[in-house]
Amino acid sequence: MSGQPSGAASLALPVGGDPTRPLLFWLFALIGYLAALCGLALVLLSGEMREWNRSLDNSLTLQIPAETSAARIETVLALLRQTAGIRGVRLLEPAETARLLEPWLGPAATLDTLPVPRLIDLQIDPGTGIDFADLRQKLSSIVPGAQLDDHRQWLGDFRGAAIRLASFMAVGIAAIALLAVVLTVSLTRTSLALHGETIELLQLIGAEDADVARLFQVDALRQGLLGGATGAAAALVTLIAVGRAVPLRVMTGGSGLADWRLWVVAIIAALAAGLVAMAAARITALRQLSLMP
Amino acid sequence: MAVVRLDNIGKSYGAGADVLHDVSLTLEPGDLCVVTGPSGAGKTTLLNLITLATPPSFGRLTLFDTDALAADRVARAALRRRIGIVFQDLRLLDHLSARDNIALPLRIVGVSESEISDHVGELAVWLDIAHRIEARPQALSTSERQRVAVARAIISRPDLLVADEPTDRVDGETALTLVRAFERLNSLGTTVLIASHDVALARRFACRHLHLEAGELTSPDPGATQ
Repeated sequence: MSGQPSGAASLALPVGGDPTRPLLFWLFALIGYLAALCGLALVLLSGEMREWNRSLDNSLTLQIPAETSAARIETVLALLRQTAGIRGVRLLEPAETARLLEPWLGPAATLDTLPVPRLIDLQIDPGTGIDFADLRQKLSSIVPGAQLDDHRQWLGDFRGAAIRLASFMAVGIAAIALLAVVLTVSLTRTSLALHGETIELLQLIGAEDADVARLFQVDALRQGLLGGATGAAAALVTLIAVGRAVPLRVMTGGSGLADWRLWVVAIIAALAAGLVAMAAARITALRQLSLMP
Repeated sequence: MAVVRLDNIGKSYGAGADVLHDVSLTLEPGDLCVVTGPSGAGKTTLLNLITLATPPSFGRLTLFDTDALAADRVARAALRRRIGIVFQDLRLLDHLSARDNIALPLRIVGVSESEISDHVGELAVWLDIAHRIEARPQALSTSERQRVAVARAIISRPDLLVADEPTDRVDGETALTLVRAFERLNSLGTTVLIASHDVALARRFACRHLHLEAGELTSPDPGATQ
């Protein structure tokens, strides 16, 4: 009966009293929480960036001073409609402008008494280059004081900031993963030392290093998955709580928990926690076992 | 084919004196050999070398015609699976029942649970521990623990059985049971090597007797190459 090792899993270690098990669980719960939070923030940020791009990337706003005559406004509209690269021109009604200003001035504000500029919304064709310097000059010649706001300038700045923030979060996730590996290595070494006599016995009766390492990697996988799932669930709960306390669209992701991407991030965080724990435990166990006779 | 071949083996720990000095020994298939000697003579060290628990400081060790010192870890594990060991300190796992302790060698090689159950049951009856098979080691008497350790060593029908003071803690009746178990296993083809300080026990076996004193085999094995 001295056959090949099966990698049989029923060589159970006395893990019930192993203090490294709850430590591993809570470690990966914390790591899963932090990683899932970073991941969820990345998803929400990228979604918000796409939304902003979609709504603003191809639009411009022209402000016309309040005292401008209707005839000059018509001239401006005619110029804009003839300009290559502009595919839509719409003069906002005063009531629409009032709605836009309401968050700042309040509903009771009487715009009739204020010098509120007229706004013209322009939709531009992204494939066609517009000579903005020339257009601004022509507009100023018709209406002195006209201001052409190019959203793309500050949207570019916002994009840059968002990319830096996303990079910071990605580095954060990598650092968390590294920390997880280091701590798993340390806990696995402790566990190996605690079960030294059992391991030596298993080896002396013919268990291969891979069989013994499997005992540790399976346990680490279980603890990593459970801990990671707990942490990811806590991150989702945090997102809901913060979304309620700070009702910003970016916090709730528009569709909130109905957004399937949030669940994917949570599941990936839990799976990644399990896999990192398993791989780190296996490699550590194999290295330590190779030092034994 | 020699089951065990030690050529001029020596063992020392650190800078201390040699525990074993220039030991040569050959065990052929079917041999039954008892090594006697006083405590501290090096018997356990000799058995540890043969079971690959510790490497020798010098010399050559061949198991089943394989150079055990040159073998890689997977090959060494394969050699160990051909050896049953009764440890002097028994080394039963406290978190497992007697049944699971006995079954360990079979589980390592992936024997089915039904087959394990049959083998364990048969052996438990033979060694008179069937009534205590679900008990944990700490609930067993010394004699019962010894029998569990022997059962674990022989359940896989090893090619070589190595037993270190197997009757040290048991009463005369149990000792006789174990001696019969070893002889029975030997009659089935297993090479048996027993280390004991009990000369009276050694006389119960009709077999080769070797004597180890201060790290040297004082009754050199005639089959060894010196």
